[in-house]
Amino acid sequence: MIPGGLAVRADKLGKWYGNVLGLSDVSIEIRPGITGLLGPNGAGKSTFMKLITGQLRPSIGTVTIDNQPVWNNPEIFRRVGFCPEQDAFYEDTTGREFLSGLLGLSGYSAAEVRDRSDRALAFVGLEDAADRLIRGYSRGMRQRLKISQAIAHEPDILILDEPLNGLDPLSKRKVIKLIKDYRTEGRTVLVSSHVLPEIEALTQSIVLVHQGKILAEGDIHYIRDLIDAHPHVVAVKTGDGRGLAAKFVGEADVLSVRFDETEGTVLFETRNRDRFFERLTRLAADEGLDVEEITSPDDNLQSVFDYLVGK
Amino acid sequence: MAIAERGYTHWPGSLEGGRRPWRVLEDFQEMLKGADKFLHINPAYFQAYYGSSFLIFMMLMIMVGSGSGLIADDLRHNSLPLYFSRPLRKRDYVGGKFGALAFFLLLLTLVPGILFILLKLLFAGSFAFLADYPWLPFSFIGWSVFISSFFSLYTLLLSSLGRNRRYAAILMVAAYFLSDVFFGIFYGIFHEPAFCLISVQMNLRQLSAAFLGAKPQFDVPWIYSFLVLSAVMVAAVLVLRRKIRVAEVIR
Amino acid sequence: MSMAPFLSVYRFSAKIVRRSKRTKVFIAVSVLPVILAVVLQINRLASPGRGLDGLAVFSNVVMGFCLQFLVLLLSLFFGTSITADEVDNKTLTYPATRPVSKTAFILGKYAASVSFLLVLVLTSTVVSFLILMADRLSYGAAWAFLGKSLAALGFGTICYTALFTLAGTFLKKSILFGLFFCFGWENVVQYFPGTTQKFTIMHYLKSLLPGMEAGVGGTEGTGLLKFLLFRQEPTPVVTAVITLVILTAVFAGLACWVFSRKEYLFDE
Repeated sequence: MIPGGLAVRADKLGKWYGNVLGLSDVSIEIRPGITGLLGPNGAGKSTFMKLITGQLRPSIGTVTIDNQPVWNNPEIFRRVGFCPEQDAFYEDTTGREFLSGLLGLSGYSAAEVRDRSDRALAFVGLEDAADRLIRGYSRGMRQRLKISQAIAHEPDILILDEPLNGLDPLSKRKVIKLIKDYRTEGRTVLVSSHVLPEIEALTQSIVLVHQGKILAEGDIHYIRDLIDAHPHVVAVKTGDGRGLAAKFVGEADVLSVRFDETEGTVLFETRNRDRFFERLTRLAADEGLDVEEITSPDDNLQSVFDYLVGK
Repeated sequence: MAIAERGYTHWPGSLEGGRRPWRVLEDFQEMLKGADKFLHINPAYFQAYYGSSFLIFMMLMIMVGSGSGLIADDLRHNSLPLYFSRPLRKRDYVGGKFGALAFFLLLLTLVPGILFILLKLLFAGSFAFLADYPWLPFSFIGWSVFISSFFSLYTLLLSSLGRNRRYAAILMVAAYFLSDVFFGIFYGIFHEPAFCLISVQMNLRQLSAAFLGAKPQFDVPWIYSFLVLSAVMVAAVLVLRRKIRVAEVIR
Repeated sequence: MSMAPFLSVYRFSAKIVRRSKRTKVFIAVSVLPVILAVVLQINRLASPGRGLDGLAVFSNVVMGFCLQFLVLLLSLFFGTSITADEVDNKTLTYPATRPVSKTAFILGKYAASVSFLLVLVLTSTVVSFLILMADRLSYGAAWAFLGKSLAALGFGTICYTALFTLAGTFLKKSILFGLFFCFGWENVVQYFPGTTQKFTIMHYLKSLLPGMEAGVGGTEGTGLLKFLLFRQEPTPVVTAVITLVILTAVFAGLACWVFSRKEYLFDE
């Protein structure tokens, strides 16, 4: 089969857990390429992922893959690979047995199961650990094994729920590379995360989810512009706070300057974060400014969402 | 051929007038004849309650429902470090779990015993009962505490053996019934009363009889049953000391 | 339904069942009748004057241990595990996102558990029989009794596992239900006179075993099979078998039906 061309489509999709709203009135089409599903914890990303992989039944609306309903339609999973968020395995099996067993469920012959599991294990770099029990795997190895089971049958649609969660920077880089390597022409990859830079490292196309609703979808630059247009607070810890403040107070993009005596920091509110940091770096280099720490208290996704929803 | 052989029987009584609805009350009165023996609260009454299979079965169900996950769930979620990052010692942790389960078990043992005594005093209108059996309150309180402690430790022991509460529940029931089944088989074949010592239930019954001044079912000194049950409790404490680790390796 | 998905689930589940640490504990429990048989046989040989009949002892082991304890316990644990383990361990996602129907998944896992349990229970029973009857293996009636015992144990395993598979699909505390059922309902109601006893599965299983009146050869008069009088009003064997088969089919069918309609949420 020529891969590609499959779209995930949700139409007025909603899900309630009793009285709790999981997802509300979501209409979206996810097309080939990598799409990032971005939202803070509890936003509804996992609910959406579970709905499009048929683990949950929609309370209202429809969800289809290639125009076929997903709920109770196992055949669809010949073309879909899913990497769940939870760190769950059949712990008493080896990595190879785990993978072979799941490939067996996809209906491959014994020879093909062997071949595909070898390839998938090699793809995620687990050949050497393949015959060890999963309970002895490190977090990074477990995450890569989860990805390998999602790609072993070479699906047209790959859905990854928080694949970078809890990984150290080295493992994160490996997994990001794996996902990028998997993206071949026409394939659809959907990755969820609550960390903006992680998604930025993977794709330009994102969907923002917040409180069970889609806030925005499209190019990441659009979101970036929104972030940049939004005033940022930058805290700088330095021995000469007032001296530093004097150098910035005349700049047009600096909206306010406050001093936090207890912390020994100066809080700058700026409209152009990039220009502020550029100037700060230059001052530190040229004038030997003693900067101990720079933090950005509101440089997180939550503040972007708060901004977008007008809080 | 006698009429009885055709399925008929002769009734020797005489017919009375038609029944009135209030005759139901008379029937009820008839049914209650002999029920007054239930009001004769004495040591045998307590033994009948505390040694009953039903009570022990219900305690087992409480242990399974409320106790199987007490430690197994903590092991499963690697939450022991959360406890021990507070100013808690192992004995506080185990004591807390023990107390939570013992509370529910005492609801089935101590509370009914107190109610029996109170009702007896209420209906008798005198304290003669306590004068006749002054040791009885201490006996049933002692027995309630002992059996609740035994089952609490038994539950904690089996709950600490794995990370799966369902597995712990099965182990709890399996160990209890297995000992009883083995007793049944051996006693059925050899008719040797000493085999009662391999059964948890029989040991509890023997000991409850000793506590409550009743005659034990088997002619085996109660002290042996006490030693067997105490050994289980000591083993539970030793295993818990090993299994509850302050530092846990988290993957 | 194609057999391929069912077989693939069966193979995968059988491997997981065999590999599980807990399985090893249950293997040890199912070896107990064999150890019991060895102990009893040594005792018989050491004191030949005590008149213990090997067949009577065997029937005691089958009735007292295998049928009323081992089969119930194993079926309860493995039956409820079919769904509950996947939900508790959050592994259900993996089979749920494969091209395997939910019916094939339940039936495949059920078949894997049952076949494993049958091997455990029946092997243990046959070995116990061979040990206890080592000196009377040519005795035909004993083999007939063994056959009936194996049938009762086999049907018991199949039927109870189906029931507990169903319980595991829709009850959160399926173990508690199972324990009440096994050691509360089944243990008590089977002894009720009249029709009530027919509301237990154990009644039909015991109906497959020879009654006192049938007299297992060589045991008449010994009184050692008196316990079989427990079975007060047996159902004819054919009716019992048909009932057990129907019950199994209904339980398994309902389990598939519930599983294919229910959403399983993991504890977060």
